Amino acid sequence: MRCLKSRSVNHSWFRTFTVGIACTFTFLLFMTIGTLLFVLKPSDLLSSLLSEEMLYSMKLSMLTSSASTISVMCCSIPTAYALSRFSFPGKSVIKTVLGLPMAFPELVMGLALLLLFGQGFLGPYLEALGIKVTFSKLGIIIAQFFVAFPYAVRVIYSTFEDINPRYEQVSRSFGYGEFETFRHVTLPMARSGLFASGVITFARCIGAFGAVLVLAGGSYMHTEVLPVTLYLNISYGNLEMAITSGILLMGIAFLAILSFEKFEGGRM
Amino acid sequence: MSFLEVRDLCLDVGDFELSGIGLKAEKGDYLALIGPTGSGKSLLLETIIGFYGPEKGRIILEGKDITNFPPDMRQISIVYQDHVLFPHMDIFENIAYALRKKLRDKKQIEAEVKQIAGVLGIGELLHRKPATLSGGEKQRAAIARSLVVRPKLLLLDEPFSALDARTKEKLREMLKKAINEYSTTVLHVTHDFEDVWALANRVVVIRKGEVMQAGDPESVFKRPSPDFVAEFLGTNVLKGCVKALEGKLTVVEAEGMKIYSSDPAEPGEGVTVSIRPEEIILAREALESSARNTVQGRVSGVFKKEHLVVVEVEIGNAEIKAVITPTSCEMLGLEPGREIYAVFKASNARIIR
Repeated sequence: MRCLKSRSVNHSWFRTFTVGIACTFTFLLFMTIGTLLFVLKPSDLLSSLLSEEMLYSMKLSMLTSSASTISVMCCSIPTAYALSRFSFPGKSVIKTVLGLPMAFPELVMGLALLLLFGQGFLGPYLEALGIKVTFSKLGIIIAQFFVAFPYAVRVIYSTFEDINPRYEQVSRSFGYGEFETFRHVTLPMARSGLFASGVITFARCIGAFGAVLVLAGGSYMHTEVLPVTLYLNISYGNLEMAITSGILLMGIAFLAILSFEKFEGGRM
Repeated sequence: MSFLEVRDLCLDVGDFELSGIGLKAEKGDYLALIGPTGSGKSLLLETIIGFYGPEKGRIILEGKDITNFPPDMRQISIVYQDHVLFPHMDIFENIAYALRKKLRDKKQIEAEVKQIAGVLGIGELLHRKPATLSGGEKQRAAIARSLVVRPKLLLLDEPFSALDARTKEKLREMLKKAINEYSTTVLHVTHDFEDVWALANRVVVIRKGEVMQAGDPESVFKRPSPDFVAEFLGTNVLKGCVKALEGKLTVVEAEGMKIYSSDPAEPGEGVTVSIRPEEIILAREALESSARNTVQGRVSGVFKKEHLVVVEVEIGNAEIKAVITPTSCEMLGLEPGREIYAVFKASNARIIR
């Protein structure tokens, strides 16, 4: 009865306004994505997909993103745990610094990394060890790492914050040490949050462009990852290739969000 | 030397603080810690178990100073109101997890788990995940997990407060049985007096991080000492002055009433009289009875409190509370404005100073 009654009630203009905005712009977004999908003929799409350049770019993207995702997870889990559970001098500074890259442009991050790993600072020392970061595949991984790391820390931090420290304390009271407790209690309880942040990190890494372009350079078939393929081919006027890499990136993002929603229960 | 001794414990964590708490418990004691919300009771438990390090003071267990021990070295267990069972393990795993640091042998662990599950009646639930259990079942599992390691000290932080009255009653009985069987010393934080009556052999009243009164339940409830304790425990507190002595009785004039008390006092002395609400009889007429105190008043309020009824009676400019059953309330037809007599024995009018 209540339900029927409320349905017949006149909605306020404000409700109509907000719902209207939500519908209009979601529709526009959907249209935008749709355009990308339907511009190309399937045969063109297939031939670009199977071109040597695209295969190279896909493979390199997958490899570098996997490597950077793994290293991001290895570093962000301890970082997020320390920030969530312990108090130590400089904690608030660390939090602020980790928050910075979310606000400032990726391109600037790339520039900063180029300067750090370039000839001025670390470059010569690393080169003496036989490690070349700038304009190399390792540069791609490092750029992706620094782009994705702050995001991963934030997601994992909130996962740890959601776990009541009492679980850990109870485990401690049964004679388990800090690390044992982390392994047996905290990690399993954070499992779905960690998986979700892994997925988001991977999507972030594969989509990283500005920092990758500046640090690793966008050289054809050398440091060419999917966003770089898109960029290079637009500059050549080769729209089929650009659109194809766009569709690939979108597909990956779509899969990432899908599994994120599934594991995080659609928290927004 | 006491089994557990807490000496002058001080800690300030912002919302709560402990300021110079001192406690003693003998082996096998069941100590109830009561006090209003925010009095630092839970903080005290978490300091004893070692989740917080005190700023000052010592904690001594079995003659050993454990103040600086990490929690995993103390052999103290805790049960919280929200049970804190690990959600990713089933009940068997939860209980076995507690034992794994103590026992290596799988068969032995299984036997211990089965035994405690039997005592607490959760044998059927061992393969279930915590999320599928009812509140009472979860709490029994949490108690089982804490007791199975035979801790030196068991801390209970309002373990029953989220449960309904019937489940509480059942759990208290089971807890009592389990504690006898595992012979553990217990510190139990609660604000439910039923817990105190049913389980504790000693009571400590805490306010604002300080111990206000300690003793056996009888004496704390019958003779609450400072004003605060009396008020917190819900007794009627009347301020007055001793008028005369009549034989063995002391006559106190308190807030316009003449009260006979069997407690000794000197004439002219300023005193406070405490009368427990459940020791007051309400009557429609002035009765001839052995009770020496009969005062006439007017009902000013009738409230339900759990399964009892609290009746507020206005007498002159004072107000006293009486606790009666709903049936008596109905029989007497109590409603605000009605004239009523409050009757109580001289021995129940306690003089506190």
